[in-house]
Amino acid sequence: MNIENDNKVLYIVQAALIAGVYTALTLLLEPYSFGHMIFQFRVSEALTVLPAIIPASIPGLFVGCLVSNLLGGFGPIDIFFGSLTTLLAAFASRKLRKYSILVPLPPVLFNAIIVGGYLKFLYYKDIPLLFSMGWVGLGQLLACYGLGYPLLLLIKKRFGETKIQDK
Amino acid sequence: MLKNITLGQYIPGNSIIHRADPRTKIIWTVFLMITLFAASNIYGYVMMIAVVGIILLVSDVPISYTLRGLKPLFVILIITAAINIFTYPGDTELITFGILRITLEGVMQAIFIAIRLSLMVIIGSILTLTTTPISLTDGLETLMAPLKKIKVPVHEMAMMMSIALRFIPTLLEETDRIIKAQSSRGADFDTGNFLEKAKSFIPVLIPLFVSAFKRAEELATAMESRCYRGDINRTRLKELTYTKDDRKISIFLSIFLVVFILSKVYM
Repeated sequence: MNIENDNKVLYIVQAALIAGVYTALTLLLEPYSFGHMIFQFRVSEALTVLPAIIPASIPGLFVGCLVSNLLGGFGPIDIFFGSLTTLLAAFASRKLRKYSILVPLPPVLFNAIIVGGYLKFLYYKDIPLLFSMGWVGLGQLLACYGLGYPLLLLIKKRFGETKIQDK
Repeated sequence: MLKNITLGQYIPGNSIIHRADPRTKIIWTVFLMITLFAASNIYGYVMMIAVVGIILLVSDVPISYTLRGLKPLFVILIITAAINIFTYPGDTELITFGILRITLEGVMQAIFIAIRLSLMVIIGSILTLTTTPISLTDGLETLMAPLKKIKVPVHEMAMMMSIALRFIPTLLEETDRIIKAQSSRGADFDTGNFLEKAKSFIPVLIPLFVSAFKRAEELATAMESRCYRGDINRTRLKELTYTKDDRKISIFLSIFLVVFILSKVYM
């Protein structure tokens, strides 16, 4: 499995497939995403740890989030801002890749602050800002630390630290 | 599990909205949303409802499909409406129970917010209901093309979107197969607390990655052997063109926009 490469075509295709996996998981697991209607728990958000290992997943997650929101999303504002938040978080996670424990932090924080922020201003103007941020943050915390972090450790163990370090 | 999934929301049809160029639809969707946020009084909302209603009628999309999009909003609508009704400051009291007072202004505010939220979702779903994901991608790519000048990889992103859209059904089947395979080996996805349930998906994710990466390598080889080298001199099977339909839509919505702005200034 070739995960670090200089080949542009392979990079595009890997990113596309990661986007595909993200969307497939979102669509497949959303209907029975643990029976909670109130907060969003996207299993696919666990994939936000991937930028630490696979550079192609930075655009991959962005496109995945864009396509998921486009296909079955909550609303059009999510299509742009939600995906851009994912992109920013993916860059930050990539930068933090040396510290595994910090890798899932950007998607939790960025989504809580940005998504929680615009949700408040667009949809529920009278709900306290902290509540709206905490609401988004909690779902992300569970997905990224509950599922993403163990996943990251497992992938690192399976594919070896040396192979995935930058050249 | 797979049966419940509708991939995308596109409903084939031959209405003027279906035939219009995706660029026209994307641009006007954005404009309508901005207008929606600019609406602040009853006239604004009535005009918005009228224009969205006309578009819906013309688009031949069954109303039930559009309303289905509102389902996930339901809980949020109720919560926001409740909060607004009880907390919005106003002078015209309707009912008072102890510290809770309901004012006319609060009720109006709740109705406005409900209308705004629902229209927002309906406007977005008209776009996705009448445009195939592939033509949406094409439309976005051409609209974003100027960003290439500041080195935004627009073509690459659009390519990723098209490949992702092509592989979603395949990956859905694959995920379903892996879930079944792991269940038959005794994996348990349904019991335990929230965190345990979340973790039970790891045995699904790992094989899914491995197979996705194998597919990526095969596809990259196939693309290279067909001389894919980005958007340099690349031609399209279907060129996007503006037609009479686009002109009609643009004229109608421009008139609406002018009336809306005038009503905002004078009413």
